[in-house]
Amino acid sequence: MSIMKICQVTCFYDKSRMVLDHISAEFEAGKIYAILGPSGCGKTTLLSLLGGLDSPMGGQVLFQEEDIEKKGLAWHRKYNAAFIFQNYNLIDYMTPAENVALTSKLPPLPILERLGITKEEARRNILKLSGGQQQRVAIARALASDAGVILADEPTGNLDEDTALEIADILKECAHQMNKCVIVATHANELAAQADVVLKLRKGKLIRVP
Amino acid sequence: MGFIKRAGLYCFRQRLKTMILFLVLMLIAVCMLTAIAIRDAANETTADMRTAIGGKIILEIDTEGHMGSAQEYEWGTASVYNGDKNTQEIVDSIQKVDGVTGYNVEEAAGYYGAGVNFKYLPTPYGLSYTPYGESSSYTVTLSSEKCKAFLSGKYNLVDGRHITPDDEYACLISKELADYNQLAVGDKAQMYSLDSDSVAEFTIVGIFDGTKGASKEAYTASDIPGNLGYIDYASLRDIFKDMFDEDFYQYLTIFVEDPAGVKNVYDKISALPELQGKTLKLTIDTDEYDDVSSPLESLRQLVRTAIVIVSVVSALILTLLLTIWIRGRKKEIGILLSIGTGKANVLLQMFTETFAVAMLSFAAAIPFGNLTAKKAGAYLASQAAEGAASLHVQMDAVYLVHFYLIGILLITVSVVASAWTVLCLKPKDILTKMS
Repeated sequence: MSIMKICQVTCFYDKSRMVLDHISAEFEAGKIYAILGPSGCGKTTLLSLLGGLDSPMGGQVLFQEEDIEKKGLAWHRKYNAAFIFQNYNLIDYMTPAENVALTSKLPPLPILERLGITKEEARRNILKLSGGQQQRVAIARALASDAGVILADEPTGNLDEDTALEIADILKECAHQMNKCVIVATHANELAAQADVVLKLRKGKLIRVP
Repeated sequence: MGFIKRAGLYCFRQRLKTMILFLVLMLIAVCMLTAIAIRDAANETTADMRTAIGGKIILEIDTEGHMGSAQEYEWGTASVYNGDKNTQEIVDSIQKVDGVTGYNVEEAAGYYGAGVNFKYLPTPYGLSYTPYGESSSYTVTLSSEKCKAFLSGKYNLVDGRHITPDDEYACLISKELADYNQLAVGDKAQMYSLDSDSVAEFTIVGIFDGTKGASKEAYTASDIPGNLGYIDYASLRDIFKDMFDEDFYQYLTIFVEDPAGVKNVYDKISALPELQGKTLKLTIDTDEYDDVSSPLESLRQLVRTAIVIVSVVSALILTLLLTIWIRGRKKEIGILLSIGTGKANVLLQMFTETFAVAMLSFAAAIPFGNLTAKKAGAYLASQAAEGAASLHVQMDAVYLVHFYLIGILLITVSVVASAWTVLCLKPKDILTKMS
């Protein structure tokens, strides 16, 4: 059963260029989805709509069969969908532990340790960590939120090949072992190869790649 | 993580910004404290003055149309008042009116006397019209304590006592004149009156100061404030008994308990049967209060304007500073919004940060504000209200509550104004720009 759905979603750039043309799709928990497509094709826009960062110009975004606008987009972002960004988007005056604590009242150290961040690293300033470590913290923050859907926008875009593979493994683990629905927008074919379902966004249409 | 903890972390981790904000807010607080303290002091002094001076009603004979035909005398032509007179009977009935606290006679320059056994402070010209040298003027009064100069604080009794209605041949002289002639309380001052062509002997019952700074353009002895004095009303009646056929008051000041209720008392006195149809004039006198309070009113207006200007400028400076900082925090705001933190929650965090720093800086500003308020208050009072009254600047709880309320309002306006443009953006727009 799908956890998220988009129905006939439409979106324009600059009120004239249609980037999402009446697209529909369903996303299930426990699976990792990869959305592929060239730059500017609307991958980030689609993730923004799924995550409630923006509203579609037409159509609906449903979470567990309910329109996400019903309870409010902030509610959706807080309880249903969590983001992982290419540039990590962590608050720079906080430690990794404090960044994770932003989304959860549970102690942040267990989840950070599970993602390979030591106790000592968890208490450093976030800017003193490497890119891979920062992305692990961002993933920890997403997981700590208890959201059913994790939306990752180019999560390995700023990382070297080895670290990118490690992050891909973590995301796969999130989907398969933690039963999250992980939707990844990426250019990287290596990451797409780890996905259970690959979707291609081209000329405003979303096509499932067999 | 709640907004209070986030605010605490921000203040603690961003120490330089916190310190700058602390200093800016402290500067604003010192300016604001100074202005509010002076305003409150001016208000309080005005209220005290109202109480001290009280309300006044003047009862005088109405000479207009009630002067007899002109008669020739040896020394020239004069006409005599032939209207109704303000008798003791009328004064007694006025005294019974509810709200009336007393009455006084204060006739400035009612008596001119030349010093027989003493000398006046000299003038450059040394003009002399009497066998005993120059004459100086004396205010004739029933109670010198109720005279304008003493009520307003211009003169202060430094020795002896005031002239009272029971006194006869009593006088008050200035400390300058007493020192010049080595006179003291209890000594006799003999004066020659050219008008009555007689010498009268007064007992010095009191000595006052406040006459220092004699006019540099003194032509006569009376032009020098130190030569002026007070004598009792009874002695004037006695000296000029040949000229008064009946005991009456030409000009009487009636004192009212509450200055705010002076109109009410005026109406009651006007309605007295003893005054109906009489050729007496009753008026409300606010001149003295106006004289003393108008410089303070100017000061109050000046301070009110200063408070408005300080508030507006402070709000602008604070808004500008916070706007610059909030622009640098766009990413943080975008991140918080992207994880589902509400806009109100983000705004509360920023308000808490500024509020927490403000509370500390306001507290730290109190001793500095107290000091500057006292110095500025003394300076402004000397400039704006010279000779009127001194300003007692102090900080009490009510005053601090006012100050904190204004401060909180200022911070709220500044935080909302500075964060508004960022919070109006969609989280996606903020994060896209950051990317």
